[in-house]
Amino acid sequence: MSDSKRNLAIRYCLVFVLMFVIIAPFYWIYSSSLKESSAIVAQAPSLVPQSITLDHYANLLSSSDYPIYLTNSVVVSVATMAITVVLSTSAAYGLYRLPFPGRKTLYRLILLAYIFPGSLLLIPLYVMLSNFKLLDSQVALIVVNVTFAAPFSVWLLKAFFASIPFELEEASALDGANWLQTLLLIVVPLASPGVASVAIFAFITSWTEYMFASVLIVSDANRTLPVGLAGIIGQYVIDWGLLLAGAGATTLPIILLFVLIGRFFVRGLLEGGVKA
Amino acid sequence: MLRMVKRKRDKRHRRRALLGVALVAPLVIWLLLTIAYPIFSLIRLSFLDVGIIGTGGDFVGLANYQKVLSSRTFGPSMGRSLVWVLGNGVLQTLLAFVAALVLNLPFRGRALARTWVILPWIVPTVVAVIVWRWMLGTSGGIVNTVMLRLGIVQEQIGFFSTGASAMSSLVVMNSWRFFPLLTIIILAGMQGIAQDLYAAAAVDGASAWQRFLNITLPGLKPVLFVMGLVGTLWSVNIFDVIYLVTGGGPSRATMTMPVLIYDMAFLQYRLGRAAAAAVLMALVVTLFTIVFIYFLAPRGDDQDEAWR
Repeated sequence: MSDSKRNLAIRYCLVFVLMFVIIAPFYWIYSSSLKESSAIVAQAPSLVPQSITLDHYANLLSSSDYPIYLTNSVVVSVATMAITVVLSTSAAYGLYRLPFPGRKTLYRLILLAYIFPGSLLLIPLYVMLSNFKLLDSQVALIVVNVTFAAPFSVWLLKAFFASIPFELEEASALDGANWLQTLLLIVVPLASPGVASVAIFAFITSWTEYMFASVLIVSDANRTLPVGLAGIIGQYVIDWGLLLAGAGATTLPIILLFVLIGRFFVRGLLEGGVKA
Repeated sequence: MLRMVKRKRDKRHRRRALLGVALVAPLVIWLLLTIAYPIFSLIRLSFLDVGIIGTGGDFVGLANYQKVLSSRTFGPSMGRSLVWVLGNGVLQTLLAFVAALVLNLPFRGRALARTWVILPWIVPTVVAVIVWRWMLGTSGGIVNTVMLRLGIVQEQIGFFSTGASAMSSLVVMNSWRFFPLLTIIILAGMQGIAQDLYAAAAVDGASAWQRFLNITLPGLKPVLFVMGLVGTLWSVNIFDVIYLVTGGGPSRATMTMPVLIYDMAFLQYRLGRAAAAAVLMALVVTLFTIVFIYFLAPRGDDQDEAWR
Protein backbone atom coordinates (compact mmCIF):
# COMPACT_ATOMS: atom_id res chain seq x y z
CA MET A 1 0.00 0.00 0.00
CA SER A 2 1.43 3.36 -0.95
CA ASP A 3 1.95 6.12 1.57
CA SER A 4 -0.83 8.36 0.31
CA LYS A 5 -3.26 5.46 0.14
CA ARG A 6 -2.50 4.60 3.77
CA ASN A 7 -3.02 8.23 4.75
CA LEU A 8 -6.34 8.20 3.00
CA ALA A 9 -7.40 5.03 4.83
CA ILE A 10 -6.42 6.51 8.19
CA ARG A 11 -8.30 9.69 7.33
CA TYR A 12 -11.54 7.86 6.61
CA CYS A 13 -11.10 5.75 9.75
CA LEU A 14 -10.84 8.95 11.84
CA VAL A 15 -13.94 10.40 10.17
CA PHE A 16 -15.80 7.16 10.85
CA VAL A 17 -14.84 7.13 14.55
CA LEU A 18 -15.90 10.75 14.96
CA MET A 19 -19.26 10.25 13.28
CA PHE A 20 -19.77 7.04 15.25
CA VAL A 21 -19.36 8.92 18.54
CA ILE A 22 -21.90 11.49 17.33
CA ILE A 23 -24.48 9.27 15.64
CA ALA A 24 -24.36 5.90 17.45
CA PRO A 25 -26.25 7.06 20.58
CA PHE A 26 -29.09 8.32 18.36
CA TYR A 27 -29.19 5.08 16.41
CA TRP A 28 -29.43 3.25 19.71
CA ILE A 29 -32.36 5.39 20.89
CA TYR A 30 -34.34 5.01 17.70
CA SER A 31 -33.67 1.31 17.20
CA SER A 32 -34.52 0.55 20.84
CA SER A 33 -37.72 2.58 20.65
CA LEU A 34 -38.95 0.28 17.87
CA LYS A 35 -38.44 -2.92 19.88
CA GLU A 36 -41.11 -4.93 21.68
CA SER A 37 -41.31 -4.20 25.41
CA SER A 38 -39.85 -7.62 26.24
CA ALA A 39 -36.86 -6.95 23.98
CA ILE A 40 -36.28 -3.52 25.54
CA VAL A 41 -35.74 -4.92 29.02
CA ALA A 42 -33.77 -7.96 27.80
CA GLN A 43 -30.45 -8.55 29.55
CA ALA A 44 -28.71 -9.10 26.23
CA PRO A 45 -29.86 -6.35 23.86
CA SER A 46 -29.72 -6.99 20.12
CA LEU A 47 -28.08 -4.34 17.94
CA VAL A 48 -30.85 -4.54 15.35
CA PRO A 49 -34.49 -4.90 16.46
CA GLN A 50 -35.67 -8.49 15.85
CA SER A 51 -39.25 -7.38 15.28
CA ILE A 52 -40.36 -3.81 14.74
CA THR A 53 -43.33 -2.26 16.54
CA LEU A 54 -44.71 1.27 16.68
CA ASP A 55 -46.60 0.54 19.92
CA HIS A 56 -44.53 2.88 22.05
CA TYR A 57 -45.11 5.80 19.69
CA ALA A 58 -48.83 5.01 19.60
CA ASN A 59 -48.83 4.93 23.40
CA LEU A 60 -47.02 8.24 23.52
CA LEU A 61 -49.64 9.94 21.37
CA SER A 62 -52.76 8.31 22.82
CA SER A 63 -52.23 7.64 26.51
CA SER A 64 -49.66 10.19 27.66
CA ASP A 65 -49.67 13.99 27.83
CA TYR A 66 -47.07 14.14 25.08
CA PRO A 67 -49.36 15.90 22.54
CA ILE A 68 -50.01 18.69 25.09
CA TYR A 69 -46.29 19.12 25.79
CA LEU A 70 -45.60 19.13 22.06
CA THR A 71 -48.15 21.87 21.41
CA ASN A 72 -46.75 23.98 24.27
CA SER A 73 -43.19 23.54 23.05
CA VAL A 74 -44.13 24.54 19.50
CA VAL A 75 -45.97 27.67 20.72
CA VAL A 76 -43.11 28.77 22.98
CA SER A 77 -40.38 28.00 20.43
CA VAL A 78 -42.05 29.67 17.46
CA ALA A 79 -42.84 32.80 19.48
CA THR A 80 -39.28 32.93 20.84
CA MET A 81 -37.95 32.53 17.32
CA ALA A 82 -40.10 35.34 15.88
CA ILE A 83 -39.33 37.83 18.65
CA THR A 84 -35.60 37.01 18.64
CA VAL A 85 -35.33 37.43 14.87
CA VAL A 86 -37.04 40.84 14.94
CA LEU A 87 -35.16 42.16 17.98
CA SER A 88 -31.71 40.95 16.93
CA THR A 89 -32.00 41.85 13.24
CA SER A 90 -33.11 45.37 14.05
CA ALA A 91 -30.40 45.75 16.70
CA ALA A 92 -27.77 44.35 14.34
CA TYR A 93 -28.81 46.78 11.60
CA GLY A 94 -28.52 49.67 14.04
CA LEU A 95 -25.20 48.49 15.44
CA TYR A 96 -23.41 47.52 12.25
CA ARG A 97 -24.87 49.78 9.57
CA LEU A 98 -25.96 53.05 11.18
CA PRO A 99 -23.09 54.89 12.81
CA PHE A 100 -23.88 56.36 16.19
CA PRO A 101 -21.47 57.21 18.99
CA GLY A 102 -20.95 54.55 21.65
CA ARG A 103 -22.26 51.65 19.60
CA LYS A 104 -19.11 49.58 20.12
CA THR A 105 -19.51 49.88 23.87
CA LEU A 106 -23.17 49.02 23.54
CA TYR A 107 -22.28 45.92 21.52
CA ARG A 108 -19.91 44.77 24.25
CA LEU A 109 -22.55 45.41 26.91
CA ILE A 110 -25.03 43.26 25.01
CA LEU A 111 -22.51 40.42 24.89
CA LEU A 112 -21.86 40.94 28.61
CA ALA A 113 -25.33 39.46 29.09
CA TYR A 114 -23.64 36.07 28.84
CA ILE A 115 -21.64 36.63 32.02
CA PHE A 116 -24.89 36.45 33.93
CA PRO A 117 -25.98 32.88 33.58
CA GLY A 118 -29.28 31.17 33.97
CA SER A 119 -28.65 29.76 37.41
CA LEU A 120 -27.92 33.27 38.68
CA LEU A 121 -30.97 34.83 37.06
CA LEU A 122 -33.31 31.99 37.98
CA ILE A 123 -34.22 33.26 41.44
CA PRO A 124 -34.74 36.97 40.64
CA LEU A 125 -36.57 36.22 37.38
CA TYR A 126 -38.83 33.84 39.28
CA VAL A 127 -39.59 36.58 41.81
CA MET A 128 -40.09 39.21 39.10
CA LEU A 129 -42.36 37.07 36.92
CA SER A 130 -44.42 36.03 39.93
CA ASN A 131 -44.88 39.73 40.81
CA PHE A 132 -46.17 40.27 37.28
CA LYS A 133 -48.51 37.27 37.74
CA LEU A 134 -46.81 35.55 34.81
CA LEU A 135 -45.86 32.32 36.60
CA ASP A 136 -47.26 29.18 35.00
CA SER A 137 -47.72 30.93 31.66
CA GLN A 138 -45.97 30.44 28.37
CA VAL A 139 -45.34 34.18 28.16
CA ALA A 140 -42.84 33.78 31.01
CA LEU A 141 -40.89 31.14 29.09
CA ILE A 142 -40.90 33.20 25.90
CA VAL A 143 -39.56 36.24 27.76
CA VAL A 144 -36.74 34.21 29.32
CA ASN A 145 -35.82 32.34 26.15
CA VAL A 146 -35.55 35.53 24.09
CA THR A 147 -33.22 36.96 26.73
CA PHE A 148 -30.87 34.01 26.36
CA ALA A 149 -31.08 33.73 22.56
CA ALA A 150 -30.84 37.39 21.49
CA PRO A 151 -27.29 38.45 22.51
CA PHE A 152 -25.64 35.51 20.72
CA SER A 153 -27.87 36.21 17.69
CA VAL A 154 -26.61 39.80 17.48
CA TRP A 155 -23.05 38.47 17.50
CA LEU A 156 -23.91 35.87 14.87
CA LEU A 157 -25.35 38.48 12.49
CA LYS A 158 -22.23 40.64 12.57
CA ALA A 159 -20.29 38.83 9.85
CA PHE A 160 -23.32 38.65 7.56
CA PHE A 161 -24.14 42.33 7.85
CA ALA A 162 -20.50 43.28 7.41
CA SER A 163 -20.28 41.57 4.03
CA ILE A 164 -23.08 43.63 2.43
CA PRO A 165 -21.72 46.53 0.32
CA PHE A 166 -22.84 49.94 1.53
CA GLU A 167 -23.30 51.00 -2.11
CA LEU A 168 -26.39 48.80 -2.34
CA GLU A 169 -28.03 50.61 0.56
CA GLU A 170 -27.09 53.99 -0.89
CA ALA A 171 -28.52 53.04 -4.26
CA SER A 172 -31.75 51.95 -2.67
CA ALA A 173 -31.96 55.23 -0.72
CA LEU A 174 -31.43 57.16 -3.98
CA ASP A 175 -34.31 55.20 -5.47
CA GLY A 176 -36.47 56.68 -2.75
CA ALA A 177 -36.74 53.65 -0.46
CA ASN A 178 -37.11 54.44 3.23
CA TRP A 179 -35.00 52.67 5.86
CA LEU A 180 -37.55 49.96 6.53
CA GLN A 181 -37.80 49.11 2.83
CA THR A 182 -34.00 49.09 2.56
CA LEU A 183 -33.72 46.81 5.58
CA LEU A 184 -36.43 44.38 4.54
CA LEU A 185 -35.87 44.34 0.76
CA ILE A 186 -32.08 44.74 0.47
CA VAL A 187 -30.26 43.95 3.71
CA VAL A 188 -32.27 41.05 5.14
CA PRO A 189 -32.40 39.04 1.89
CA LEU A 190 -28.63 39.45 1.44
CA ALA A 191 -28.05 38.38 5.04
CA SER A 192 -30.61 35.59 4.85
CA PRO A 193 -28.24 32.74 5.83
CA GLY A 194 -27.46 34.76 8.95
CA VAL A 195 -31.12 35.44 9.69
CA ALA A 196 -31.88 31.73 9.15
CA SER A 197 -29.09 30.84 11.58
CA VAL A 198 -30.56 33.16 14.19
CA ALA A 199 -33.99 31.61 13.69
CA ILE A 200 -32.62 28.08 14.17
CA PHE A 201 -30.57 29.11 17.16
CA ALA A 202 -33.55 30.75 18.87
CA PHE A 203 -35.80 27.80 18.11
CA ILE A 204 -33.30 25.29 19.50
CA THR A 205 -32.57 27.39 22.59
CA SER A 206 -36.25 27.41 23.35
CA TRP A 207 -36.96 23.80 22.34
CA THR A 208 -34.26 22.45 24.66
CA GLU A 209 -34.61 24.78 27.66
CA TYR A 210 -35.22 22.86 30.89
CA MET A 211 -34.29 24.80 34.03
CA PHE A 212 -36.63 27.77 33.69
CA ALA A 213 -39.43 25.65 32.29
CA SER A 214 -39.23 23.36 35.31
CA VAL A 215 -39.46 26.23 37.79
CA LEU A 216 -41.71 28.78 36.07
CA ILE A 217 -44.37 26.31 34.95
CA VAL A 218 -46.47 24.71 37.65
CA SER A 219 -49.43 22.97 36.04
CA ASP A 220 -49.15 19.90 33.87
CA ALA A 221 -51.20 21.48 31.08
CA ASN A 222 -48.56 24.18 30.49
CA ARG A 223 -45.44 22.00 30.52
CA THR A 224 -43.01 21.91 27.62
CA LEU A 225 -41.43 18.74 26.23
CA PRO A 226 -38.17 18.67 28.23
CA VAL A 227 -40.02 19.02 31.54
CA GLY A 228 -42.70 16.56 30.49
CA LEU A 229 -40.09 13.97 29.53
CA ALA A 230 -38.18 14.57 32.76
CA GLY A 231 -41.43 13.79 34.57
CA ILE A 232 -41.45 10.33 32.99
CA ILE A 233 -37.82 9.77 34.08
CA GLY A 234 -38.76 10.74 37.61
CA GLN A 235 -41.40 8.05 37.95
CA TYR A 236 -40.68 5.16 40.28
CA VAL A 237 -40.81 2.53 37.57
CA ILE A 238 -39.52 3.94 34.30
CA ASP A 239 -41.45 2.87 31.21
CA TRP A 240 -38.40 2.76 28.95
CA GLY A 241 -40.39 2.07 25.80
CA LEU A 242 -42.44 5.23 26.33
CA LEU A 243 -39.40 7.26 27.35
CA LEU A 244 -37.32 6.19 24.34
CA ALA A 245 -40.20 6.92 21.99
CA GLY A 246 -40.58 10.32 23.70
CA ALA A 247 -36.88 11.08 23.25
CA GLY A 248 -37.03 9.99 19.61
CA ALA A 249 -40.13 12.03 18.86
CA THR A 250 -38.71 15.13 20.60
CA THR A 251 -35.50 14.92 18.57
CA LEU A 252 -37.27 14.40 15.25
CA PRO A 253 -38.37 18.04 14.62
CA ILE A 254 -34.81 19.22 15.25
CA ILE A 255 -33.42 16.65 12.85
CA LEU A 256 -35.96 17.66 10.18
CA LEU A 257 -35.18 21.35 10.72
CA PHE A 258 -31.52 20.53 10.36
CA VAL A 259 -31.98 18.54 7.18
CA LEU A 260 -33.62 21.62 5.66
CA ILE A 261 -31.46 24.48 6.92
CA GLY A 262 -28.72 22.97 9.05
CA ARG A 263 -25.96 23.87 6.63
CA PHE A 264 -26.87 27.58 6.89
CA PHE A 265 -26.64 27.33 10.64
CA VAL A 266 -23.19 25.76 10.71
CA ARG A 267 -22.02 28.12 7.96
CA GLY A 268 -23.32 30.97 10.09
CA LEU A 269 -21.36 29.74 13.10
CA LEU A 270 -18.24 29.22 10.99
CA GLU A 271 -18.36 32.64 9.31
CA GLY A 272 -19.39 34.41 12.49
CA GLY A 273 -16.41 32.83 14.22
CA VAL A 274 -13.87 33.96 11.65
CA LYS A 275 -14.78 37.59 11.96
CA ALA A 276 -15.63 37.70 15.63
CA MET B 1 -23.78 76.04 -2.01
CA LEU B 2 -21.09 73.77 -0.61
CA ARG B 3 -22.11 74.67 2.90
CA MET B 4 -25.70 73.79 2.14
CA VAL B 5 -24.69 70.36 0.84
CA LYS B 6 -22.61 69.83 3.94
CA ARG B 7 -25.43 70.88 6.21
CA LYS B 8 -27.78 68.57 4.38
CA ARG B 9 -25.33 65.71 4.76
CA ASP B 10 -24.90 66.45 8.47
CA LYS B 11 -28.61 66.35 8.90
CA ARG B 12 -28.84 63.02 7.11
CA HIS B 13 -25.98 61.72 9.20
CA ARG B 14 -27.73 62.73 12.41
CA ARG B 15 -30.97 61.15 11.31
CA ARG B 16 -29.22 57.87 10.53
CA ALA B 17 -27.51 57.91 13.93
CA LEU B 18 -30.86 58.51 15.63
CA LEU B 19 -32.40 55.68 13.66
CA GLY B 20 -29.52 53.44 14.76
CA VAL B 21 -30.19 54.22 18.41
CA ALA B 22 -33.90 53.63 17.93
CA LEU B 23 -33.29 50.23 16.35
CA VAL B 24 -30.97 49.01 19.09
CA ALA B 25 -33.16 50.37 21.87
CA PRO B 26 -35.80 47.59 22.01
CA LEU B 27 -33.18 44.89 22.59
CA VAL B 28 -31.31 46.98 25.13
CA ILE B 29 -34.50 47.73 27.06
CA TRP B 30 -35.47 44.05 26.94
CA LEU B 31 -32.08 43.01 28.37
CA LEU B 32 -32.15 45.73 31.01
CA LEU B 33 -35.52 44.45 32.22
CA THR B 34 -34.63 40.76 32.15
CA ILE B 35 -30.97 40.85 33.21
CA ALA B 36 -29.90 44.14 34.80
CA TYR B 37 -32.99 44.57 36.96
CA PRO B 38 -33.05 40.93 38.14
CA ILE B 39 -29.35 41.13 39.08
CA PHE B 40 -30.15 44.20 41.14
CA SER B 41 -33.08 42.49 42.84
CA LEU B 42 -31.00 39.36 43.48
CA ILE B 43 -28.50 41.44 45.43
CA ARG B 44 -31.35 43.06 47.37
CA LEU B 45 -32.88 39.65 48.10
CA SER B 46 -29.61 38.37 49.51
CA PHE B 47 -29.90 40.87 52.37
CA LEU B 48 -33.47 39.90 53.23
CA ASP B 49 -34.82 37.08 55.33
CA VAL B 50 -37.10 35.55 52.71
CA GLY B 51 -38.16 31.92 52.68
CA ILE B 52 -40.93 31.11 50.26
CA ILE B 53 -41.56 33.51 47.42
CA GLY B 54 -44.42 35.90 48.00
CA THR B 55 -43.70 36.22 51.71
CA GLY B 56 -42.10 39.46 52.87
CA GLY B 57 -38.73 39.56 54.54
CA ASP B 58 -36.88 41.72 57.06
CA PHE B 59 -33.52 43.26 56.32
CA VAL B 60 -30.98 41.03 58.00
CA GLY B 61 -27.73 42.54 56.77
CA LEU B 62 -25.07 39.95 56.08
CA ALA B 63 -26.76 37.15 58.02
CA ASN B 64 -27.55 35.16 54.86
CA TYR B 65 -23.93 35.41 53.77
CA GLN B 66 -22.71 34.29 57.19
CA LYS B 67 -25.03 31.30 57.16
CA VAL B 68 -23.99 30.29 53.64
CA LEU B 69 -20.28 30.67 54.31
CA SER B 70 -20.44 28.73 57.56
CA SER B 71 -22.64 25.94 56.17
CA ARG B 72 -21.18 22.51 55.56
CA THR B 73 -22.40 22.46 51.97
CA PHE B 74 -21.01 25.68 50.48
CA GLY B 75 -17.26 24.97 50.46
CA PRO B 76 -17.52 21.42 49.08
CA SER B 77 -19.93 22.62 46.36
CA MET B 78 -17.46 25.30 45.28
CA GLY B 79 -14.79 22.59 45.14
CA ARG B 80 -17.02 20.31 43.07
CA SER B 81 -17.75 23.16 40.67
CA LEU B 82 -14.01 23.61 40.22
CA VAL B 83 -13.54 19.88 39.52
CA TRP B 84 -16.52 20.04 37.13
CA VAL B 85 -15.13 23.02 35.18
CA LEU B 86 -11.62 21.57 34.95
CA GLY B 87 -12.80 18.09 33.96
CA ASN B 88 -15.10 19.43 31.29
CA GLY B 89 -12.54 21.95 30.08
CA VAL B 90 -9.82 19.36 29.55
CA LEU B 91 -12.01 16.67 27.99
CA GLN B 92 -13.96 19.01 25.72
CA THR B 93 -10.88 20.86 24.49
CA LEU B 94 -9.19 17.56 23.69
CA LEU B 95 -12.20 16.11 21.87
CA ALA B 96 -12.89 19.36 20.02
CA PHE B 97 -9.30 19.72 18.80
CA VAL B 98 -9.19 16.19 17.48
CA ALA B 99 -12.60 16.58 15.82
CA ALA B 100 -11.69 19.94 14.27
CA LEU B 101 -8.40 18.60 12.88
CA VAL B 102 -10.26 15.64 11.37
CA LEU B 103 -12.99 17.83 9.88
CA ASN B 104 -10.36 20.17 8.44
CA LEU B 105 -8.86 17.36 6.34
CA PRO B 106 -10.16 17.05 2.79
CA PHE B 107 -12.52 14.06 2.43
CA ARG B 108 -15.70 13.24 0.56
CA GLY B 109 -18.84 14.32 2.43
CA ARG B 110 -16.99 16.85 4.56
CA ALA B 111 -19.70 19.51 4.36
CA LEU B 112 -22.25 16.95 5.54
CA ALA B 113 -20.04 15.80 8.42
CA ARG B 114 -19.45 19.41 9.47
CA THR B 115 -23.18 20.02 9.64
CA TRP B 116 -24.13 16.90 11.57
CA VAL B 117 -21.27 16.98 14.04
CA ILE B 118 -23.31 19.62 15.89
CA LEU B 119 -26.19 17.20 16.57
CA PRO B 120 -25.47 16.39 20.26
CA TRP B 121 -25.44 20.11 21.04
CA ILE B 122 -28.86 20.83 19.55
CA VAL B 123 -30.91 18.04 21.13
CA PRO B 124 -32.61 18.80 24.45
CA THR B 125 -30.56 17.96 27.53
CA VAL B 126 -33.35 15.65 28.60
CA VAL B 127 -32.90 13.62 25.43
CA ALA B 128 -29.14 13.42 26.00
CA VAL B 129 -29.86 12.31 29.55
CA ILE B 130 -32.24 9.59 28.36
CA VAL B 131 -29.71 8.44 25.73
CA TRP B 132 -26.90 8.09 28.24
CA ARG B 133 -28.91 6.61 31.05
CA TRP B 134 -30.19 4.07 28.55
CA MET B 135 -26.69 3.23 27.35
CA LEU B 136 -24.99 3.23 30.76
CA GLY B 137 -27.64 1.20 32.61
CA THR B 138 -26.68 -1.79 34.73
CA SER B 139 -29.32 -4.17 33.44
CA GLY B 140 -28.96 -4.62 29.72
CA GLY B 141 -27.25 -1.26 29.08
CA ILE B 142 -25.36 -1.47 25.81
CA VAL B 143 -22.03 -0.20 27.20
CA ASN B 144 -21.95 -2.76 30.01
CA THR B 145 -23.08 -5.51 27.66
CA VAL B 146 -20.37 -4.78 25.08
CA MET B 147 -17.65 -4.42 27.70
CA LEU B 148 -18.64 -7.70 29.36
CA ARG B 149 -18.69 -9.52 26.07
CA LEU B 150 -15.29 -8.16 25.03
CA GLY B 151 -13.91 -9.14 28.43
CA ILE B 152 -12.89 -5.56 29.32
CA VAL B 153 -14.70 -5.86 32.64
CA GLN B 154 -15.70 -8.89 34.69
CA GLU B 155 -18.95 -7.54 36.12
CA GLN B 156 -21.41 -4.71 35.44
CA ILE B 157 -20.13 -1.21 36.20
CA GLY B 158 -22.42 1.09 38.19
CA PHE B 159 -21.68 4.30 36.33
CA PHE B 160 -23.60 6.45 38.81
CA SER B 161 -23.25 4.40 42.00
CA THR B 162 -20.19 5.98 43.60
CA GLY B 163 -19.34 9.67 43.93
CA ALA B 164 -16.28 9.51 41.69
CA SER B 165 -17.92 7.38 39.00
CA ALA B 166 -21.04 9.57 38.95
CA MET B 167 -18.95 12.71 38.56
CA SER B 168 -16.84 11.21 35.77
CA SER B 169 -19.89 9.84 33.93
CA LEU B 170 -21.52 13.26 34.11
CA VAL B 171 -18.38 14.95 32.77
CA VAL B 172 -18.32 12.51 29.83
CA MET B 173 -22.02 13.05 29.11
CA ASN B 174 -21.73 16.82 29.28
CA SER B 175 -18.57 16.84 27.16
CA TRP B 176 -20.27 14.75 24.51
CA ARG B 177 -22.98 17.39 24.40
CA PHE B 178 -20.73 20.44 24.21
CA PHE B 179 -17.60 19.44 22.28
CA PRO B 180 -19.42 19.79 18.90
CA LEU B 181 -19.91 23.51 19.46
CA LEU B 182 -16.24 23.96 20.39
CA THR B 183 -15.30 21.94 17.31
CA ILE B 184 -17.13 24.38 15.07
CA ILE B 185 -15.55 27.35 16.86
CA ILE B 186 -12.05 25.89 16.42
CA LEU B 187 -12.81 25.06 12.78
CA ALA B 188 -13.85 28.66 12.24
CA GLY B 189 -10.55 29.77 13.70
CA MET B 190 -8.63 27.36 11.47
CA GLN B 191 -10.32 28.80 8.39
CA GLY B 192 -9.08 32.24 9.38
CA ILE B 193 -5.42 31.12 9.22
CA ALA B 194 -3.76 32.05 5.93
CA GLN B 195 -3.14 28.90 3.88
CA ASP B 196 0.14 30.13 2.37
CA LEU B 197 1.72 29.87 5.84
CA TYR B 198 1.27 26.10 5.63
CA ALA B 199 2.62 26.01 2.06
CA ALA B 200 5.69 27.96 3.11
CA ALA B 201 6.25 25.68 6.13
CA ALA B 202 5.95 22.61 3.91
CA VAL B 203 8.62 24.04 1.61
CA ASP B 204 10.85 24.54 4.65
CA GLY B 205 10.34 20.88 5.52
CA ALA B 206 8.29 21.34 8.69
CA SER B 207 6.56 18.20 9.98
CA ALA B 208 2.80 18.05 10.53
CA TRP B 209 3.34 18.34 14.29
CA GLN B 210 5.63 21.37 13.85
CA ARG B 211 3.06 23.02 11.60
CA PHE B 212 0.36 22.42 14.21
CA LEU B 213 2.54 23.82 16.99
CA ASN B 214 3.94 26.85 15.13
CA ILE B 215 1.12 27.88 12.81
CA THR B 216 -2.21 26.39 13.90
CA LEU B 217 -1.96 26.95 17.65
CA PRO B 218 -0.72 30.59 17.49
CA GLY B 219 -3.31 31.31 14.79
CA LEU B 220 -6.03 29.99 17.06
CA LYS B 221 -5.07 32.21 20.01
CA PRO B 222 -8.00 34.62 19.75
CA VAL B 223 -10.45 31.75 19.30
CA LEU B 224 -8.96 29.81 22.19
CA PHE B 225 -9.25 32.89 24.38
CA VAL B 226 -12.95 33.29 23.68
CA MET B 227 -13.45 29.54 24.09
CA GLY B 228 -11.64 29.43 27.42
CA LEU B 229 -13.70 32.29 28.77
CA VAL B 230 -17.13 31.50 27.39
CA GLY B 231 -16.66 27.75 27.78
CA THR B 232 -15.80 28.17 31.45
CA LEU B 233 -18.75 30.47 32.06
CA TRP B 234 -21.07 28.05 30.33
CA SER B 235 -19.89 24.92 32.04
CA VAL B 236 -19.74 26.38 35.54
CA ASN B 237 -23.44 27.08 35.17
CA ILE B 238 -24.56 23.70 33.89
CA PHE B 239 -27.52 22.63 35.96
CA ASP B 240 -29.85 20.44 33.95
CA VAL B 241 -27.59 17.46 33.14
CA ILE B 242 -26.50 17.05 36.74
CA TYR B 243 -29.92 17.60 38.23
CA LEU B 244 -31.66 15.25 35.82
CA VAL B 245 -29.18 12.39 36.21
CA THR B 246 -28.11 12.38 39.84
CA GLY B 247 -30.01 15.24 41.49
CA GLY B 248 -26.68 16.12 43.13
CA GLY B 249 -26.13 12.64 44.60
CA PRO B 250 -24.96 10.09 45.53
CA SER B 251 -24.62 11.71 48.97
CA ARG B 252 -24.03 15.18 47.45
CA ALA B 253 -21.00 14.01 45.43
CA THR B 254 -22.20 15.85 42.31
CA MET B 255 -23.82 18.84 44.00
CA THR B 256 -22.10 21.71 42.20
CA MET B 257 -22.97 25.35 42.89
CA PRO B 258 -25.97 25.69 40.52
CA VAL B 259 -27.53 22.52 41.94
CA LEU B 260 -26.92 23.74 45.49
CA ILE B 261 -28.53 27.11 44.74
CA TYR B 262 -31.54 25.45 43.13
CA ASP B 263 -31.83 23.08 46.06
CA MET B 264 -31.76 25.94 48.60
CA ALA B 265 -34.24 28.10 46.72
CA PHE B 266 -36.83 25.70 45.38
CA LEU B 267 -36.60 22.58 47.57
CA GLN B 268 -35.64 24.01 50.97
CA TYR B 269 -37.47 27.32 50.41
CA ARG B 270 -34.63 29.52 51.62
CA LEU B 271 -34.73 32.16 48.92
CA GLY B 272 -32.68 34.80 50.73
CA ARG B 273 -29.91 32.37 51.53
CA ALA B 274 -29.90 30.98 47.99
CA ALA B 275 -29.62 34.54 46.67
CA ALA B 276 -26.58 35.09 48.88
CA ALA B 277 -25.00 31.88 47.57
CA ALA B 278 -25.71 33.01 43.98
CA VAL B 279 -24.10 36.40 44.62
CA LEU B 280 -21.03 34.73 46.12
CA MET B 281 -20.73 32.46 43.12
CA ALA B 282 -21.14 35.41 40.77
CA LEU B 283 -18.35 37.23 42.61
CA VAL B 284 -15.98 34.29 42.12
CA VAL B 285 -16.94 33.99 38.44
CA THR B 286 -16.52 37.74 37.88
CA LEU B 287 -13.10 37.63 39.56
CA PHE B 288 -12.12 34.75 37.28
CA THR B 289 -13.36 36.69 34.24
CA ILE B 290 -11.34 39.78 35.16
CA VAL B 291 -8.16 37.80 35.80
CA PHE B 292 -8.64 35.78 32.63
CA ILE B 293 -9.16 38.85 30.46
CA TYR B 294 -6.35 40.80 32.12
CA PHE B 295 -3.72 38.11 31.71
CA LEU B 296 -4.79 36.24 28.61
CA ALA B 297 -6.62 38.66 26.29
CA PRO B 298 -4.83 38.69 22.92
CA ARG B 299 -3.36 42.15 22.46
CA GLY B 300 -3.73 43.64 19.03
CA ASP B 301 -5.50 46.22 16.99
CA ASP B 302 -9.23 46.27 17.29
CA GLN B 303 -9.79 46.77 13.58
CA ASP B 304 -12.94 45.21 12.33
CA GLU B 305 -14.68 45.59 9.04
CA ALA B 306 -18.12 45.65 10.62
CA TRP B 307 -17.37 48.99 12.24
CA ARG B 308 -17.01 51.32 9.29
